[in-house]
Amino acid sequence: MAIKIKNLKILFLREIKTKISFKPFSFLLNTVLISIIISSLLLALNWIFFKANWSVINSNLSLFAFGSFPSDEQWRPLLWLVILSFIALINIFGPKWKWLRKNLLIIWIGSVPVGIYLLKGGFGLIPVMSQNWGGLTLTIFITICSILFSLPLGILLALSRRSSLFMIQKFSSFYIDIMRSVPLIAVLFFGQLLIPLFLPYGLEIDRVWRAIIGFTLFVSAYIAEDIRGGLQSIPKTQLEAANSLGLNKYQITRFILIPQSLRVALPALTNQLIGLFQNTSLMSILGLMELIGIGRSILANPEYIGQYIEVYIWLATVYWILCTLMAYLSKQLEKEMSSNKGY
Amino acid sequence: MRLNIKFFLQIVLILILIIFVWIILNNLSINLSRTGIGFDFYWLSKPAGFSLAEKPLRYSPSDTYAWALFIGWINSLKVIFLSLIFATFIGILIGFARLNKNSFIGLISAGYITVIRQTPLLLQLMFWYFVGFLNLRNNNFLNFNQIINFSVQGIDLFGIKFSSEFSALLFGLSIFSSAFIAEVIRGGILSVPFGQWEAFRSLGLSERTGFIKIIIPQALPAFIPGLTSQYLNLAKNSTLAIAVGYSDIYAINDTIINQTGRAIECFIILLSSFLILNLLITNIMGLINKLIISSRK
Repeated sequence: MAIKIKNLKILFLREIKTKISFKPFSFLLNTVLISIIISSLLLALNWIFFKANWSVINSNLSLFAFGSFPSDEQWRPLLWLVILSFIALINIFGPKWKWLRKNLLIIWIGSVPVGIYLLKGGFGLIPVMSQNWGGLTLTIFITICSILFSLPLGILLALSRRSSLFMIQKFSSFYIDIMRSVPLIAVLFFGQLLIPLFLPYGLEIDRVWRAIIGFTLFVSAYIAEDIRGGLQSIPKTQLEAANSLGLNKYQITRFILIPQSLRVALPALTNQLIGLFQNTSLMSILGLMELIGIGRSILANPEYIGQYIEVYIWLATVYWILCTLMAYLSKQLEKEMSSNKGY
Repeated sequence: MRLNIKFFLQIVLILILIIFVWIILNNLSINLSRTGIGFDFYWLSKPAGFSLAEKPLRYSPSDTYAWALFIGWINSLKVIFLSLIFATFIGILIGFARLNKNSFIGLISAGYITVIRQTPLLLQLMFWYFVGFLNLRNNNFLNFNQIINFSVQGIDLFGIKFSSEFSALLFGLSIFSSAFIAEVIRGGILSVPFGQWEAFRSLGLSERTGFIKIIIPQALPAFIPGLTSQYLNLAKNSTLAIAVGYSDIYAINDTIINQTGRAIECFIILLSSFLILNLLITNIMGLINKLIISSRK
């Protein structure tokens, strides 16, 4: 008995020794790093609470959220944002009812026409021109519309890149390769300047929609490549099995290829979504008043001159929180998809 | 019969494409003749008339548009090349740090990666430019005895001057890309089977020799595809230079369009310069890949 206890003691000591191994170099490095980080954190906190002048953010919160949307009508974008966050909350914490989970995608898609109606007005609401859309609302609007349009286009491009029809295959690989080698800002610029030149005289597309067209054209090429990766991961035996069951081509694509490749490509697709959300900021260079555009215009106001750090830190925090939320949402979705094999 | 349907489908597709292109070109020619701009490349040999702050070669406003574009191209190459080197260097450091057993260093590098990856590059560039460099005012920050000098004019390294626009772009691009490169490096090293680590440990090699001689050589081929795509992204992201006022190829095209209205021609020039750049990067990375494979034999 005594020996056993002694053994245990030795084992325990060894455990401690391996867990908290006292290596002088590592110890020194840790103390130095910890002291640097604590002191810089203290400096940052001191700046945030005592030195920074947050009035530039506080007095412009409605600008950051809704842009120059008429103040009487600001409940409309607010309502849309609330609806969206409610759907996201259901996605994360909601009950696991099958009918609800099945229809979540439809609910997400349905949120777009609701958003367009609430922002644009008409049919009983006062119409608001798209020049007045702005801030976070515009950023989210562009992101959601572009991802919803580019997903089907991307799937179509990926399928046609694997098609046995020579012309279709060549055309889609040409399109994908060109789009992937061009910088996004060039495509957006194409949308803003060249689309009006390609349209017949008198027909005009709104700036916001031209931006969405640009993003859709660009992102769909990337999504197509991600989905192609998913398609390639499906073993050939699946196709043979489907063929031997007598499924036709449409059924194989709809029930076997697309669901499985989407599941494989999901992490890459959510990265595309996060990238798209961040890249909407490029529209501020081309003159749309989304989040960063609003930040730039506020900084150009002589009242707030030189308050770059406050504005940039605020914008970075907003982007960081929303991107992290999206990443979390996608992880949740991945888990669900891997556990719930039946659609 | 089956073949005929396929053939028919392709013909229809080609017809639709031709009609679509024809409609677009028709609209274009109507719109161009209405605005009176037209479509040709003769304007390239006319004097540009705008001055450039950033000129690695001799340039004056009386030089041609073509020469201005060439200067922009060189400026782009300069910033892409330098930030590619810095980004790789920082990325490797951070990637290794994330794998470090010292959990504290791992935590710091994970924090670095999430902050950099979850905020837009444009915001970071503006931060480096307006807060990082223009905030330095006229006092010289970090003036180390004439070796390196950070000031509102930019970086002065051994008397070689880099403008503040260039330096901000260099900082922003290198730091942004380094977070992505770090993930590539980490993924590459994790792709080496864990048995390899156990094997060199049981052979009595030290952690360091084992890591350098056993793990890295096996991880190298896994780095290449990820690194290539990150380098391509870096090259494409360098077009955000316009946000900080650095005259790269996109910014000069933008200026020319504002001046002459020749949107189509400039867009074609921009497209072809990026196609060339992409070919350059993919070919160089392909060469490196070949070198790695041949050195392993």
